[in-house]
Amino acid sequence: MTADDSGQPNRGKDGRTIFNVDRDKLLEFMKGMKEKGYDHLSLITGVDRKDFIEVVYHLHAVERNEYVVVKTTTNNGVVPSVTSLWSSAKWEEREQYDLMGIKFEGHENLKRIFLPESWVGHPLRKDYDLGNVQYINMDSDGEDYATFDEGDGW
Amino acid sequence: MKSGEPGALVTTLEKALTWGRSNSIWPLTMGLACCAIEMMGTQASQLDISRFGSEIFRNSPRQSDLMIVAGTVTKKMAPRLKRLYDEMPFPKYVIAMGVCVIQGGPYVHGYSVVLGVDRVVPVDVYVPGCPPTPEALTYGIMTLQKKIRGETDR
Repeated sequence: MTADDSGQPNRGKDGRTIFNVDRDKLLEFMKGMKEKGYDHLSLITGVDRKDFIEVVYHLHAVERNEYVVVKTTTNNGVVPSVTSLWSSAKWEEREQYDLMGIKFEGHENLKRIFLPESWVGHPLRKDYDLGNVQYINMDSDGEDYATFDEGDGW
Repeated sequence: MKSGEPGALVTTLEKALTWGRSNSIWPLTMGLACCAIEMMGTQASQLDISRFGSEIFRNSPRQSDLMIVAGTVTKKMAPRLKRLYDEMPFPKYVIAMGVCVIQGGPYVHGYSVVLGVDRVVPVDVYVPGCPPTPEALTYGIMTLQKKIRGETDR
């Protein structure tokens, strides 16, 4: 499955419109979608396809009650941020950075949102080693930290 | 027996104390995931655990005797749960509600879930189920009452 940047939409299994957009044209395309009335960015997800990473945006036009899906791919894990269009993308992109390791270029505060900063790796990636268990504990200042020491955290 | 004469009620101080203690277990609101819905059902009018003395769910650990851990304990939540448990006054009791709390449940191979809350705090009664029915939790509370009174659960 690769992205064809012809701009013509496909139909998903559930009948939902899917646009496959090239990464370089994503921001421009999204700006056009917002002008078409897709004022609500309901979800950003990431898919690890092993050779590349797919980033999926679910857009919603509230007045017309229409949903569309925009997909883009990246080989090096970098995609442009859409925080300039939808502010709700700030947390969504931080979540994708935290769990999938996707870097969003232009995000003002791209750091982990769920896991502590000292966590090693991004757990929803296919190459994440689940056997190497990490634990979380809280220091005296109330800050979380991750550790490989079973006796330290939970 | 029905002689009509006034009798004397004889008991030991220990028995009176544990009887009072077992019939006034106030739980801490510790709903962490979907099991919390069943915990609310246990507390609501139809099953109503205040019949057994668990009057109201307290929001402060300082006023509660029992921690019903209802829902998946994540590694990030574990230090907070430990802190809340430490803030509860003695004597204090813990009920582990649901398989997630008992040993990890469906998340046993995940990266983020504590494999059993008994790694964090000592547990008195385990209530299995996914989620346990409100009746099961009521039975768990009654089992805890028997345990406090020093009776065997036969």
